[in-house]
Amino acid sequence: MTTSHWSHPGTRAAFWDGVRDTLAVVPSYLPFALVCGVASVNAGLSTSAAVALPALVFAGSSQAVLTQFIQSSASLWVAILSGCVINLRMAVYSAALSPKVKQFSTGERMLIAAFLIDNSFAFMQKRELANPKDPHLIAYYAGLTAVFWPSWLLFCMVGIFAGNIVPASWQLEFAIPLSFIAILAGSVRSVPMGAAAAVGGLASIVLFALPLKLGLVAACLAGLLAGLVMEKGVQWWTTRKAG
Amino acid sequence: MDNTQSWIVVLGLAVGTFLIRYSFIGLLADRTMPHWLDRALKLMVPAIFAAIVLGGVVMVGGQVADLTQWPRYAAAAVAFIVAIASRGSILGTVIAGMAVLHGLPWLLR
Repeated sequence: MTTSHWSHPGTRAAFWDGVRDTLAVVPSYLPFALVCGVASVNAGLSTSAAVALPALVFAGSSQAVLTQFIQSSASLWVAILSGCVINLRMAVYSAALSPKVKQFSTGERMLIAAFLIDNSFAFMQKRELANPKDPHLIAYYAGLTAVFWPSWLLFCMVGIFAGNIVPASWQLEFAIPLSFIAILAGSVRSVPMGAAAAVGGLASIVLFALPLKLGLVAACLAGLLAGLVMEKGVQWWTTRKAG
Repeated sequence: MDNTQSWIVVLGLAVGTFLIRYSFIGLLADRTMPHWLDRALKLMVPAIFAAIVLGGVVMVGGQVADLTQWPRYAAAAVAFIVAIASRGSILGTVIAGMAVLHGLPWLLR
C-alpha cells in the first residue's frame, strides 16, 4: 500500500474504527497475557527470549503451550511442533484473507500475515458482514493490529518482569486453562465440533504418557477424527430422517 | 534451559507460525484452500482447545490430580458454566474460576 492510499479519508476512518474496536476488548485479554508472561520465565525461558516470544509469535495459546512443553522438559523440536499445531487454524484465516490482499506487494502481504490473530480475524468478519465490499478492510485490520500487538506485548512484559511479585500459592498458571475454557465455549458451534472437543480433551489425558510428549499432537488428531466421524453420522441421520 | 535453547524454541515457533499465517496470503496465493482441509482445520480448533483445558486442569506435574486437589475441578466446572453463560467472556471466566479455586477451600476451612 502506498502513502497515497493512506491519505484517503475512508482509509483513515477505517483505521480508527479498528483502534476503537480493539480498545474496547483490551481488558479482556489482560489476565491471559500477564499469565503467559509469568509462565514463560517460570518455565525457564531466558528473559530476552521471553520478550521475543509475544513480540514474534504473537499468539497466546501457542505461547502457553510452548511454555508448558519447556516446563515438562520436552525436546525443543516437540515443543516447536506442538506450538505450530496449535496455530494451524490460522491457515483458515490466511485463506479467507487471501482474495482481499491481491493488490498488495509481497512485502506488504508478509506484514499483513505476520499479525494475523483470532481476535483480528473475528473483528474483520464482523465488519465484512456489515459492509461486504469494504475497500478499507486492511486499513481496519491495521488499526486493530496497532492496538493488539503493542498491548499484548506490554501485558506479557509486565508478567515477565513483575510476575515474581505474585506468590506461587496464588496458582496464577491455572488462569491459562481457565482462559481456554472461555475460548472453547465460544468455538464449539456444532455437534461434530462438540465431539472433536470431547475426544480431543479426553485423549490429551489418556495419551499423556506417549513417547516424546507427542500426546497433544495425537490428541488433536484423535479429536479431529472424532469430529469427522460425527460429521458423517450427522449427515447419515439427517438424510435418514429426510428419506 | 540456556539462552541459546530459549531463542531456538522461540524463533522456531515464530518461523513456523509465520509460514502458517503467510500460507494462503503469500505462498499459495493462487490457490484456494481445499474443502477437506478447511473442514479438518475447523474441527481441529475445538479439539486443540479442549486438549489444552483438560491437560491444564487434570494434570499436575505429570500426574493426574487426585481428589485432594478438588478445588481445581470445582473451579473448572464453575468456569465452564460461566463461559457458556457469558458466551465466552475470558475475563469473567478467569475471575470466576480463580475465585472458586481460592475462595471455596477458604470458605470450607
